[in-house]
Amino acid sequence: MAHTLVDLTPEQIAAFAANEPSWLQERRLGALGAAHDLPLAHRKQTPLEAAGFTLPALPQTASVTVGDVHDGAEVMELTQAIAEGTADLERHLGRLFSEGQDHLHALHLATFAGGVLCRVKRGRELASPLQVSIGLQGGSLFAPHVLVVLEEGARADLIVELQGEAGSEAAVRGAVEIVLGDGAALNYTEFQRLPGRVQAYWPRRAELGRDARLQWILADVGARLAVSDTRTYLRGAGSEARVLASFFGGRRQHFEFSHVMVHEGAHSTSDIEARGVLQGKARAIYSANSVIRKNAKNASGWQHEHTLMLSEEARADLIPELEISEWEVSAGHAASAGPVDPMQIYYMESRGITPVESRRLIVAGFLASLLADIPLRDVREQIADIFLEKVEL
Amino acid sequence: MARLELIIEGLRVGIEGREIVKGFDLTVRGGEVHAVMGPNGTGKSTMASALMGHPAYEVLGGRVTLDGQDLLAMSVDERARAGLFLAMQYPAEISGVSNANFLRTALNARRPESEPVPVMQFHRELKAKMESLQIDPSFAERYVNEGFSGGEKKRNEILQMAVLRPRVAVLDEIDSGLDIDAVKLVAGGVSQMLSDDMGVLIITHYQRILNYINPTNVHVMMQGRIVRSGGPELATQLEERGYEWLREELGIDEPLTEEA
Repeated sequence: MAHTLVDLTPEQIAAFAANEPSWLQERRLGALGAAHDLPLAHRKQTPLEAAGFTLPALPQTASVTVGDVHDGAEVMELTQAIAEGTADLERHLGRLFSEGQDHLHALHLATFAGGVLCRVKRGRELASPLQVSIGLQGGSLFAPHVLVVLEEGARADLIVELQGEAGSEAAVRGAVEIVLGDGAALNYTEFQRLPGRVQAYWPRRAELGRDARLQWILADVGARLAVSDTRTYLRGAGSEARVLASFFGGRRQHFEFSHVMVHEGAHSTSDIEARGVLQGKARAIYSANSVIRKNAKNASGWQHEHTLMLSEEARADLIPELEISEWEVSAGHAASAGPVDPMQIYYMESRGITPVESRRLIVAGFLASLLADIPLRDVREQIADIFLEKVEL
Repeated sequence: MARLELIIEGLRVGIEGREIVKGFDLTVRGGEVHAVMGPNGTGKSTMASALMGHPAYEVLGGRVTLDGQDLLAMSVDERARAGLFLAMQYPAEISGVSNANFLRTALNARRPESEPVPVMQFHRELKAKMESLQIDPSFAERYVNEGFSGGEKKRNEILQMAVLRPRVAVLDEIDSGLDIDAVKLVAGGVSQMLSDDMGVLIITHYQRILNYINPTNVHVMMQGRIVRSGGPELATQLEERGYEWLREELGIDEPLTEEA
């Protein structure tokens, strides 16, 4: 089925990007052509054909708020970074989405509007976390792009929040790209707390150089429909990546998340730990794949997925996969989904704790290890509180 | 505070359609220690679980009041806040939730939302109570019952009782799996708390713990009801002569080893 793009012409893109440098205009037009040629991939359990983020429309620019920026780092709104002609942009922007072409990725690269650029200079180690909040105000379609570049040996913590004004029914078609130079280390926390009617498509890509380290701490609570796929390329020897993904879906929320670790470097290691909580009629489709390519000798890739079901109507599909093309590796997965143990609830209630508070404690205990590495205590507690406030009987 | 009064009248309890407790009567008042003894499978633990409101047990009849309130009409957490405490034989493990957090949440559930227990004061009191029960201070931050030995779980139950200060504590086989030093500690912990404000119901198979907590009343339960009541001397008699003697005297000829 051809997805129509008749509403979006090269002339419109050219006008939309009129103030941008020619390399970017050309890329946008190239991406628009690719979007025309590529059909929208059909997702069996999450049909996207009717989702707002597939609209071939020109998006609004999301608001971006940046916390304190320290010496050695640059954090700026992407439109500003483009206007200032920052060198890394041309080199990296959209590069990680060129592998494995996809209609929505191409559409995003043709139409992205604003976002943020974070750069940490070579060898710099930031004493405190960088913080960015991306907000949806008014509007019906947003397409922010987040680009994070850590040069060789740089170390940083970054916290990104996705939020919007209450009642928003907007769609988000965004993207995150992370490039870590040799020996760089990033602890990336992302907290998705979009309003309850938002539909979000939010893929992430990362590339790790030799001995680079990346920790994704991803916490999803918001949006009516949230679809993301996170793909980490462990290109350098000795690189390490870890995903700590937590999510909480309630009411009729629908989540489809996938995490893929692609091992290319020898001795690269990855670990995916995902824990989800579902209540009401929420549904989550969760998949993980550890891909170990030829020559990634002594690589190791592990996955652990657990979903806690607080209601009988909630539904979880867990799809763990391994794709291994090298002999000397270690890899494996464990996945489970199950209800709260009624004996735990009984025990807590027998101490006077109310039924709803008992469930909160169980959820807090279930998610504690995934939130423990969020760098700022108040952010960590705020995220935990928002998770726990969702618990309903 | 008025003297505690727990009145159980004609309690009948079943599980999966089978009646286990068949008309149980008992009154416990503040300052009293009642021991309910009996062979395995006579319904002692079923009675205790039904008092607390265990979801697997069904109350088929009878009436229970705690300080005049209808206990059986309450939910499990309401019973606890009304002052009932059950030290369980097999307490649940709760991963990711520290003992201290668990207990603080339980205490706060008894207070108005705007007046949570001050954190420093809570930790001071918890530490003191742990010391008196010879519980290692590291247990405050360990996850509830996770990786605890049988004996550690039992001591943890008594610690919870000491912190929550119930009106009536039901100790279900608190002495099983404990060595003699631990039995003394647990018994000491219970005895310390006794007053007109609090009564204790000890469920036990053995007389051993009664050497360290002096019971005011001893009851023998067989086939789902109390068949004999007396003072501390009844426990001594049972210790010397076993349950067989009483069974013969009462003309009960069903086997005693029915499943619990």
